[in-house]
Amino acid sequence: MLLSSVIIVLREVLEAALLISILIALSKKTSLSAHWLIWSCLLGLSGAIVYGMNINNVSDWFDGVGQEVTNAFIQLLIYCMLVLYILILSRFLVHKNTFHFLTRLIMIIIVALAITREGTEIVLYFFSVTHSKTHLTAVVGMTIGASIGVSVGFLFYYLLNSLKLEQSIFIGLILLLLVSAGMVSQASLLLIQADWLPAQLPLWNSSAFISEKSVTGQLLYVLLGYESTPTALQVSLYVLAIIVPIGLMQVLNKVYPKKINLASL
Amino acid sequence: MKSIRFFLSIVILSTITIMAFLAALNGYNDSMASAEELFDTELVDKANLLAISYSVRPPETRISDIAKFDQIKESQQSEQYFAFQIWKNEKILLTSINAPQDAIAHFESGFHYKNFLNHRWRTYSQYNKKTNIWILTAERIDIRYVLAENIVLETIIPVVIMLPFLGLLIWTIITYGLSPLRNLAQELGDKRADDLTALSIENQPVELIQVVNSTNDLFERLKASFLREKRFSSDAAHELRTPISAIKIHLHNLSHLISEDEQSFIQLRSSVDRMGHLIEQILNLNRTSTEQYMSRFSTIDLYSLAQEVIASEYKHFAQKNLQISLEGDSNTINGDKFSLELLVQNLISNACKYTPESGEVLIKVYCNVGDIIFQIEDSGSGIPVDKYERLFDRFYRLDGDCHTSNTIGCGLGLAIVKQIVELHHAEIFLGQSSFKTGLMVRVVFSKEDLS
Repeated sequence: MLLSSVIIVLREVLEAALLISILIALSKKTSLSAHWLIWSCLLGLSGAIVYGMNINNVSDWFDGVGQEVTNAFIQLLIYCMLVLYILILSRFLVHKNTFHFLTRLIMIIIVALAITREGTEIVLYFFSVTHSKTHLTAVVGMTIGASIGVSVGFLFYYLLNSLKLEQSIFIGLILLLLVSAGMVSQASLLLIQADWLPAQLPLWNSSAFISEKSVTGQLLYVLLGYESTPTALQVSLYVLAIIVPIGLMQVLNKVYPKKINLASL
Repeated sequence: MKSIRFFLSIVILSTITIMAFLAALNGYNDSMASAEELFDTELVDKANLLAISYSVRPPETRISDIAKFDQIKESQQSEQYFAFQIWKNEKILLTSINAPQDAIAHFESGFHYKNFLNHRWRTYSQYNKKTNIWILTAERIDIRYVLAENIVLETIIPVVIMLPFLGLLIWTIITYGLSPLRNLAQELGDKRADDLTALSIENQPVELIQVVNSTNDLFERLKASFLREKRFSSDAAHELRTPISAIKIHLHNLSHLISEDEQSFIQLRSSVDRMGHLIEQILNLNRTSTEQYMSRFSTIDLYSLAQEVIASEYKHFAQKNLQISLEGDSNTINGDKFSLELLVQNLISNACKYTPESGEVLIKVYCNVGDIIFQIEDSGSGIPVDKYERLFDRFYRLDGDCHTSNTIGCGLGLAIVKQIVELHHAEIFLGQSSFKTGLMVRVVFSKEDLS
């Protein structure tokens, strides 16, 4: 009971905390104010409340797999926004110009969607356990999970913040790339659960090394979309999710090459 | 804005949180495993106890009697939680009241799991070869788990509760630890602009000694440079004033030898006056600059100061037949006498210079909601609003060199006034005078700074 509530809350909080901490650190590095966070939190919380209150209706959609499909759709939307953000960031690395309005808008959407999804899960879990006998254990577990998640978020933020501009953006880019591919992997798992994607035999089983039900497993799940028993489809989607933004970055670099500063020659 | 206190508090608390909770979770896992072992041992003990008590009792005892005995012995809750059976030759000899008729465990020595009565049970089977008896004991896994978890949770809850207090403690300790830095910052912030005395190195922590030493070093160099500059200006003042005085004496002597109406003579005298004025003003500008000025603030009555200056400047007003009036009453401010006198004198002489003959100049000293206001208006030609800002620039004169008035001026008067206003943290405003035409200058000494 304790471990399962730790894992459930840790997974959701860690995901949101990591995304937020990376985005805040990067917006600080690219001289953007962090006011967008307030908006995205407000939007995300109201989204979570609306989603949570209508969860029964949503579940009934698509022959009873509405919740899985909606969550998968939100994950894919976050992925698309992350890819856009990654492209803008890679432009910043080359040209040092930020599209302030666009960047802020994208960050607001990413964090608001993430909070909506994770928030709904936490709220639903909270209400389901407060009715059970062992709710003290669940509350303790949730507190532990949330605290670890937020703490890891803070440490990531300060880590990225302490690096030099180029380094932190480069590392931020890689982290975002991995997190976004993880989103696709999660979305594909949800779609498999909803029978929208075919179920296959797992390619391998690494649960003996790193169990998904351990804290390390959760950290890897959030960071890399770690799955101990992935199917071939999941793995290929994951790889594709990493290749697409990298390919787009290459295309952008070809189309808009870095202007050579004549004065520096 | 980066804060060392925030950084340290959050990073330390986050690290402790992660470490403490991971340790707690690890401890939880280990404790749960130990509890499992303990419960298993208990299951074995119970089986042993049953074996002994059964061997003591005659095997003829009927099931119902034993069931009764069992009922007395076991409480209601443990009845649901614990079950046992004794089998011989595939026949049930003895059973707990809650056990089903079927065997509750496999006939295979050791621990197993089995589902019955809608629950999952941990079972233990013990076989006695001599008597050919199977003793089967079982405990409900879910209740076992809750019991174990309740015990283990007791050790984790304090860690969770402690965390906010730990956060508070870390915050307090870091605040205390950073207090020397804060004190140093405060000491530097409280220093007056002209106070260049060295900071005390006593009671400073090792980490700050280098900072204090470097700052003191800087102060020392700054002080020397100020002194040098001050000496230079006083030397320059002396060196420049002396030849001008000499020229003036020679001019006076010359006036006896040649006609005073001679054009060149008039121009020479005017140029010498202008030069003298310029030097005085440059020296005034230098003396009243904020970084240079070593002010000695005292209580000054602006009204009587204005009276004094008007009296000393009166001859210029009389020459142009200007009407000058002073309104208001005694109002004191905390300020520097020399510079305030310079301020009033510059404003009054400006008004005198730029007001045509037979014009009017009105000076007011009054109090407005605690602020003390010095205001001067003239009936001159006035200044276009868009030129107001530039008026305070050094050497700026309206219409440049083609200034229409034939007055001596170098364009430094208002720059000096502005500097003195800043020295007193006051504010200066320009506007239309209450006469038909003309300029109004208002200096507001705010009540916060007066106190």
